[in-house]
Amino acid sequence: MPSTAEFWSRPWVRWAGIGLIVVLMIVGPLILPEFANQTIARIGVFAVAVLGLNVVMGYTGQVSLGQIFFVGVGAYATAYGVNAGWNIVLVFVLACVVPAVLGLLVALAAARLGGLAIAMVTIALPIVGVPLAKRLSDFTGGSQGTSARFSDAPEWTGLYDDQWQLYLVFLIGGITFLLTRNLVRGKYGRAFAIVKGNEAVAASMGVSPYRYKVLAFTIASLIGGVSGFLYMVVIQYTSPETLHFGHSIELLASMVIGGAGSIIGSLLGGAWYVLLPQITNLIDPNITAMLQGAILLVVLFILPGGLVSLPRLWRRRGRGSVAGPGGGPVGGAMQADAAASVPGSSTVGDALGAPQTQSPPPPPTTQS
Amino acid sequence: MGTFIQLVIDGLSTGSIYAALALAIVLVNQATGLINFAQGGMAVLSAYIAWALNGFGVPIVLAILGAIVVSFFLGALIERYLIRRFERGDPDTAVVVTIGLLTFITGLCAWIWTYNNRLFPSLFPLQTIQLGGAVISVRSLGTIVVIVVIMLLLQALFLGTKLGLALRAVAINPASAAFSGINVGRSLMVGWGLAAVLGAVAGVLVAPQLTLTPGMMDGALVYALAACILGGLSSPIGVVVAAWLIGVLENLAAVYIPFIGHDLKIAVPFILIFVVLIVRPQGLFGRKAVVRV
Amino acid sequence: MTLLELADVRAFYGRVQVLEGVSLSVPDGGAVGILGANGAGKTTTLRAVSGTVRSTGTIRFDGKDLHGLRPDQVAALGIAHVPEGRGTLSDLTVRENLRVGAYRRKDAKAIRADVDYCLDLFPQLKDRIRSNGSALSGGEQQMLAIARAIMARPRLLLLDEASLGLAPSTAKAVYQAIGRLRTESGIAMVVVEQNANLAFTLVDSATVLETGRNALTGSTAELKGMDEIRRAYLGG
Repeated sequence: MPSTAEFWSRPWVRWAGIGLIVVLMIVGPLILPEFANQTIARIGVFAVAVLGLNVVMGYTGQVSLGQIFFVGVGAYATAYGVNAGWNIVLVFVLACVVPAVLGLLVALAAARLGGLAIAMVTIALPIVGVPLAKRLSDFTGGSQGTSARFSDAPEWTGLYDDQWQLYLVFLIGGITFLLTRNLVRGKYGRAFAIVKGNEAVAASMGVSPYRYKVLAFTIASLIGGVSGFLYMVVIQYTSPETLHFGHSIELLASMVIGGAGSIIGSLLGGAWYVLLPQITNLIDPNITAMLQGAILLVVLFILPGGLVSLPRLWRRRGRGSVAGPGGGPVGGAMQADAAASVPGSSTVGDALGAPQTQSPPPPPTTQS
Repeated sequence: MGTFIQLVIDGLSTGSIYAALALAIVLVNQATGLINFAQGGMAVLSAYIAWALNGFGVPIVLAILGAIVVSFFLGALIERYLIRRFERGDPDTAVVVTIGLLTFITGLCAWIWTYNNRLFPSLFPLQTIQLGGAVISVRSLGTIVVIVVIMLLLQALFLGTKLGLALRAVAINPASAAFSGINVGRSLMVGWGLAAVLGAVAGVLVAPQLTLTPGMMDGALVYALAACILGGLSSPIGVVVAAWLIGVLENLAAVYIPFIGHDLKIAVPFILIFVVLIVRPQGLFGRKAVVRV
Repeated sequence: MTLLELADVRAFYGRVQVLEGVSLSVPDGGAVGILGANGAGKTTTLRAVSGTVRSTGTIRFDGKDLHGLRPDQVAALGIAHVPEGRGTLSDLTVRENLRVGAYRRKDAKAIRADVDYCLDLFPQLKDRIRSNGSALSGGEQQMLAIARAIMARPRLLLLDEASLGLAPSTAKAVYQAIGRLRTESGIAMVVVEQNANLAFTLVDSATVLETGRNALTGSTAELKGMDEIRRAYLGG
């Protein structure tokens, strides 16, 4: 009887699995009720946003508190283009390019600065973005926001609006996920991981941390823009509230809870982002933030790899390893181990006494 | 001229609040090497505790003192049981932990006391005084005085007492401190406790003006972090000066630069950071950090 | 009477085992050297005593088992560890460094007297008493580290590579001062040194470590005469 891992690695099983998923994606929207389709579509929108955040934070280890800003810019760009009557493909390109350019400019300036400075620069984006969005009312419709309807199902498809929108999300989101997956599994992904682990080591290997941080941040912004476009597809309205800083924190929490540095983790993160408030609203809306914070802390303590690492945990039960590969959700574990074994360097760990339990150093690779 | 003085004094007053929070962040950073994004949230919780005590009939001054004492222990416990695990590791992960803590504390306040704005009694009388054509509120002056006194007390603690010496030693080289018989763990708890006290002071000083709500200190936190970057995380005096600078410039820009106005004045600290960091990456007063491989 | 006893000590950094059964015995007032090449486990042995590395086996100080104690608790028992790299408290002045050393003591008058003693033992520190630790030269920092340790009036001094990075004349001066300290105070010491010659001017006996184990143990006279030592460490 083959073990679970062997079972899943057989080619025909994988193809069958993918085929099953594709079938579900085609048939699902047709049979599910409207509310389910809308919810799944929203999950798709924010899964893409979380994916973008993962590229710069989960894979490259840079704390970004501004991802929602790029989502908002993408949404606003979409709204503007649609209302100006431009071709929808052009609008999509705009929704990708404008945030990417902004992200590039920000990264070029910020990537040379230390960790706290980068975090501050990324905080600045949504915080300054909200009043800016209110000010530039010619572009943004001011505090009222703008709406843009362009995602009604065309006549020839015979579909309902929610079904059409969900297909669009599947298509565009799916392609984004596939492209990103290829990116992080290829040489760029390996470079990101090295930069995440230890920048000085990366530089000595000829991997320029500055270059790859800029690249990661630009890609994250671009993906954010895609998410913004999909946001308009599904929700059809955007306002300064979309850019609010609190959402950036929620995205971050969702990323960590779903699984930092993981493609599937991004999907789980998107689901968490959408479903948590829906569930807590049924109980008491005032507990949303508390639950969010509590679960985030629990994950960081006992499941640093996020929900996506649960199956691995199940498989490894009895072998004691809980930390996901790549160290914590952000940044390399290599630094901690290196510090502990260099005699003469003083860390808080030395002063608190030798740890009584062993913590095996995690291998420096990221999850799929 | 009167307006100018008024703006400067008010700017110094709000700057003092940022300074208290920034000092707390610096204290925690010196002791445990991480940035506590929850510092503002902890301050809000302290303010709520004072408010709740006051609501039970405790006079406001005693309620505030009570909240300060509770905050000290909360800060110490948070360090011991929540943060201690992450001090040995990557600082960015620690930041995410503090963000989680912030979310949790804000959520806790929202759950217990809801998002409605609560009125917080003012420590200072609501009068104003005339000074050279300017109308200055007693509250602004009082806030500045309180923060200056606190800073002096902190200086006295760190430079003049054995506890202060121990805290400084632990911050510089924890292993050496331990070899000299200093209980490092306990010192870290004290450091966090003191930082929480600083936050509590900031919280209760600003609550009457902003009205008490779970997200009350979110803005102040951003300003405090900006002050830390501008002043350099290794310089307590630097961050206080930077915080005052931010408070004053923000007010002046809002009035004297129409393009910025009141809604975009939040951009001022970020512009300042940007300009300063390009010229001096270690901040106005900080020292260059040496990275060891 | 045995002050410090190590028997079959094994030590680990995470999963990596660095000591494979080290034994050592220091009599009250005695001085024992730990010699050996880089990576032999000399520093780790000291760290096992002061509690900064996980270890198994017997580690007894004055009959008391040291396992599970935090480094500050070990220090409170009367063991002062002068670490490799000196551990200077760089932003504190020399005087403040010394005050940190005396942290656990409450006898203010005796502390002041001890500060004077340290400055007499290490005259270079006298001129630098108000300078920051970071402004001191390597040799001065080494002296400061030793002074900080003895401010605690310990019964046992753990000296890790006191000559590291110092010019030969400076290293000699440091060892002479330590020798004087030993004569005047009767303090016991464990001296980790790569420079065996220098160590022999101070210690009564020594053990040579090789890949985490005792390879040779004996009195100074015995070891000085051995060909292996001469070849391996004295280049002769």
